[in-house]
Amino acid sequence: MLEISSTPLVIIAILGTVGILLPIISIARKEKGSNSFYAIIAFAALIVSIGYVAYQFVNGNILPSALFSEDVLVDDAFGGFFAIAMLIVAIFTTVGSFNYMRKKNYPAVYYSLILLSTIGMVLVAYSTDLVMLFVAWELMSIPTYVLAGFMKKNPSSNEAALKYFLFGALSSAIIVYGISLSYGLTGSTNIGEVIQGYATLDPSLLPLALLSVGMFIAGFGFKMGLVPFHQWLPDTYEGAPPTITTLLAAGTKKAGFAATIRIVVLGMVVLNLDWTLALGVIAVMTMTIGNIAAIMQKNLARMLAYSSIAHAGYILIGLAISPYSSLGLQGSLYHILNHAVMKGMAFIAVTGIITTLAVTHIDKLKGLGRRMPITALGLIISLFALAGVPPLAGFWSKLVLFGGALDAGTTIWWAPWLAIAGVLNSALSLAYYGWITRKMYFEGENEKRVSEPKSIIAIMIFSIVFLVGFGIYPDPIIKFVEFATPTFSLGVMP
Amino acid sequence: MATEAFGLPFEVGASSAWLIWILPFIAALIMPGVGKISKRSTGYVAVGFALMSALSAASLLPMALEAHEVHDQISWISSIGLKAGVLADPLSIIMANVVAWISFLIMIYSTGYMKGDKSITRFWFWMMFFIGSMQLIVLSDNLLQVFFGWEGVGLASYALISFWYRDKKKDHVGTEGRTVLGLLDYYSPTHAGMKAFIMTKVGDVMMIAGMLLIFLFAGTFGFRELMHDTAWATSMSAQGLLIPAFVLLFGGAIGKSAQFPLNEWLLEAMTGPTAVSALIHAATMVKAGVFLVMRLAPLVFALSAAGILADQFFEIILLVGAATALLLGLQGMVNSEIKKVLAYSTGSQIGYMMMVLGIAGLSEQFVNGFTAGFFHLISHAMFKASLFMAAGSLLHVVGSRFMTDMGGLRKHMKKTYAFMWAAGLGLMGAPFITTGFWSKDSIFGAVYTSGHEWAMPIFAIAVLTAIITAFYTTRMLGLVFYGSKSKHIQKMEEEGHHIHEAPLSMWVPYGILAVLTIAIGIIGLSFEVGLHELFTEYLEESFGIHSIHHEIENSILPGFLDGINPVALAASLAAFGIGTGLGYVFYIGRWVDPVKFVNSNIFFYAIHKVILNRFYLNAIIYWCFVVAPLWLSRGVFRYFEKTAIDYGMNSGLQKAVGWSAKVVQGTQTGVAQSYLFVFGAGLLFVVLILLI
Repeated sequence: MLEISSTPLVIIAILGTVGILLPIISIARKEKGSNSFYAIIAFAALIVSIGYVAYQFVNGNILPSALFSEDVLVDDAFGGFFAIAMLIVAIFTTVGSFNYMRKKNYPAVYYSLILLSTIGMVLVAYSTDLVMLFVAWELMSIPTYVLAGFMKKNPSSNEAALKYFLFGALSSAIIVYGISLSYGLTGSTNIGEVIQGYATLDPSLLPLALLSVGMFIAGFGFKMGLVPFHQWLPDTYEGAPPTITTLLAAGTKKAGFAATIRIVVLGMVVLNLDWTLALGVIAVMTMTIGNIAAIMQKNLARMLAYSSIAHAGYILIGLAISPYSSLGLQGSLYHILNHAVMKGMAFIAVTGIITTLAVTHIDKLKGLGRRMPITALGLIISLFALAGVPPLAGFWSKLVLFGGALDAGTTIWWAPWLAIAGVLNSALSLAYYGWITRKMYFEGENEKRVSEPKSIIAIMIFSIVFLVGFGIYPDPIIKFVEFATPTFSLGVMP
Repeated sequence: MATEAFGLPFEVGASSAWLIWILPFIAALIMPGVGKISKRSTGYVAVGFALMSALSAASLLPMALEAHEVHDQISWISSIGLKAGVLADPLSIIMANVVAWISFLIMIYSTGYMKGDKSITRFWFWMMFFIGSMQLIVLSDNLLQVFFGWEGVGLASYALISFWYRDKKKDHVGTEGRTVLGLLDYYSPTHAGMKAFIMTKVGDVMMIAGMLLIFLFAGTFGFRELMHDTAWATSMSAQGLLIPAFVLLFGGAIGKSAQFPLNEWLLEAMTGPTAVSALIHAATMVKAGVFLVMRLAPLVFALSAAGILADQFFEIILLVGAATALLLGLQGMVNSEIKKVLAYSTGSQIGYMMMVLGIAGLSEQFVNGFTAGFFHLISHAMFKASLFMAAGSLLHVVGSRFMTDMGGLRKHMKKTYAFMWAAGLGLMGAPFITTGFWSKDSIFGAVYTSGHEWAMPIFAIAVLTAIITAFYTTRMLGLVFYGSKSKHIQKMEEEGHHIHEAPLSMWVPYGILAVLTIAIGIIGLSFEVGLHELFTEYLEESFGIHSIHHEIENSILPGFLDGINPVALAASLAAFGIGTGLGYVFYIGRWVDPVKFVNSNIFFYAIHKVILNRFYLNAIIYWCFVVAPLWLSRGVFRYFEKTAIDYGMNSGLQKAVGWSAKVVQGTQTGVAQSYLFVFGAGLLFVVLILLI
């Protein structure tokens, strides 16, 4: 049994209580607006939660990546790592909303839904049982369907929500189908026991096990934005409120990876077949298509949406090579954390630009470096970090990922090609990042400065310090990632 | 082990070693913010931080004098085993003190010199960045970190040399309209900054190559780690790569210290504000190369104890140093810009240091040359900083960089006159009372007693350079302070400009250094003996280099000169006498007109012209590496880029990418049904791949 002070339970308690109370308070207060009041409460709840995770880590109460457990949840470093990444994103979203939600309706509901969705994300990472995982998955997803359509008078917000919901429903159905297959095959929903069951499976049932694994990849791949399950993503990211896009791109996407690592990567090691090539092919497809589509985009949010598809491809490299090199999963986790900050920061910058200047078209970003210097600087740094320019933090995680792929090349022939594809794609991505840089800094000489929202500035400064600081001195993060990365103990190599 | 000796916890020593280089960087970082609040206070903040850094350095001095060391490391990028650290041993602590205190004085001076400049915040930012980078080089415990500081110094020097980027006429160097081999000998600040950056970069590239070569074999960048286990050196030596690697590292030092043949940037570096020149020449930048050699030389020498000979490395240092000392010294004799004379003099004196470090590695008594080099570095830092700052005062007052526009200033600027004489005597090596005399004498002694086959020719070059040094220093003082007032000054006075002494904040710093040159000079011999003992112990403890204790022979010299080599002493005295005497005849007594003298016969005229044209080295470099590549690049542009690249690759590749982006976008129809179809097909696809 989990102790009452274990991290996931405490987060449920804090965020759940606040999330449920917020709408009740708003009914009791009988006043609309007063966005910042609810934002501060939500922000405080998130800070307390992240503080608790950090406290648990510092006090050593967290198991070093125990992957399986009798229980439905496990308080391990792997989950804690994802919890920190997701809570950072939730904080970005909340702080970014200070400004965005001003003078908009139903702020209490809005923040409440963010908190509830955050609980779901965190629980996905902590789950060790398929049913628990599915419940957490839905808890994460359903509030975001509502949030994506939160601007209910705005047609594109509606379109975003509807598409997102349709695919969400489909993928949930596929996941449930995968769960039912694996339950039928092994008689259990506990991930550890399912994997044990797969290890001793009768060979004639192997195709069914494969089908279940394929279902998991497709179902989670929807959230991760893997090609070919990605098509809803640009439409939704573009139409949804930009703060919610932050939550989707930087947060829920990572939950997909957490679930995939827990089930697919660790589970499939025991299935004696070469599944890694499938992930490798998807990784290359995902990054290439994401980057190529991004090049011609004129809408900043949509460009970033495609860029986040591409980054899912980079992260997937680590998953594909995980049985061959210990650097694989480390690189993935490292890049997940960095991507959460980089992409979160980029979308928050977009939020700032939309609320202040009401533009998203790239040609209209002329002279942004003069108009909104801090936001522009933050955007540029996040873009360069996404491209992996040293010495920013994104460089190191890509280095570990691609280095891992080269390392894996000693056992499997195609792994170095993933690194080559990754490097070429990073170069390609500089084309459109460079385009934005040029618009912001080398055009529009005569623009005047406008006042930037303080909350956006705060996020920009935090993220710049994070990306530059951990770019110059990456050691603490690398140590943290090493601590949180699960190691293969089952030992069956394909 | 270190700080226990005087009862401090271990961390204190280590943390002040970190602070020495971190504080200037902090100052640089906060400078833009301070500038926003109050432009006037930027100077005080800079001086304050420089002082704190200097005090941290001073706090380590007691430890250095005990020949102890602090070596503190933190993990930097643990996955590839890189560590960051500080290594505070006697060498680096004394060096850090020289850098910190001289920078501190230069900072005070700058508050006066740069008063009222519009871009003052930028100035302080780069000055502090400069000092921080230099201290990073000094205190690093590994080559990689040194390289970071190395590049920081390069960047800061670029920014400061081209500080007056508007390229006004008065900020140029050289004579307008003068050409050498068809190229203008007249440089703007921005051009000069770029020249310095690119020329030193040649050395930097060599340095990083040498560094990585060593890393490939040793698996570490750390100085102490390299010393600890020398197996890497054995295997490198077996493949014949050891000497090339160290020579490549020395290439970095050649660039940074402006040694032959990468010396030409140093002259144009005079376009920067004079405070910058003082910093470059006395405390940072050019001393970085010497320091790097001092870091490496004991290591290489110690390898020879393990049977790995590296004599060629030291021979190269020796030859480069000697050539630089002589060639740049000669050019200092003929130039008419005061700062350029000082710049040539710096290059020449740095050549001295390199030369004696080279001879150290070739002699039995490594410590003699090592001490002589370091002693000369310290004394040169003091008098050269003082001379530069004083020259800055002259420029400030007279408004011209040419010595021919000065003259007769001794009555108007009495303090500057006195201090420049004192510091100038240091440079000339005035006997028994200046640091310059003792350090130069120890160089002569080290060369003379080295026992190497080249000792005599090198000794001759050293003495000749000393004569030249005394001559051009006297010439400079004579032209500036003696004789009658130049037309330029007369005109200024007619226009109502009053020639006056520089303000307090300016003359005090160079006054202090000038006084120190004499004060330490008076006790110079015991200073040298102390340094010698300290380094003997240091080399023994850290590198296992044993020194042979010679019984002092019964010398013909009087008792207070114990331990001095009589031949070296005689040579120093003679060099000073001849050089100063000749200078006096031409420029102070003005018994012979130098212009007439040079023009009196074709032989003198030709030599003068060759030297004035910098031995044509600068022009040749420009023809080979600037003009010729420009022609080539124009050709390539016209016949290759415009055709093959532009029509073929650029538009072709662009079209291909654009086309593929269109295809991908075409699949993004916006219709949910088609998305669902793709999703389903994708699921099938995944299962199929899994089944294969």
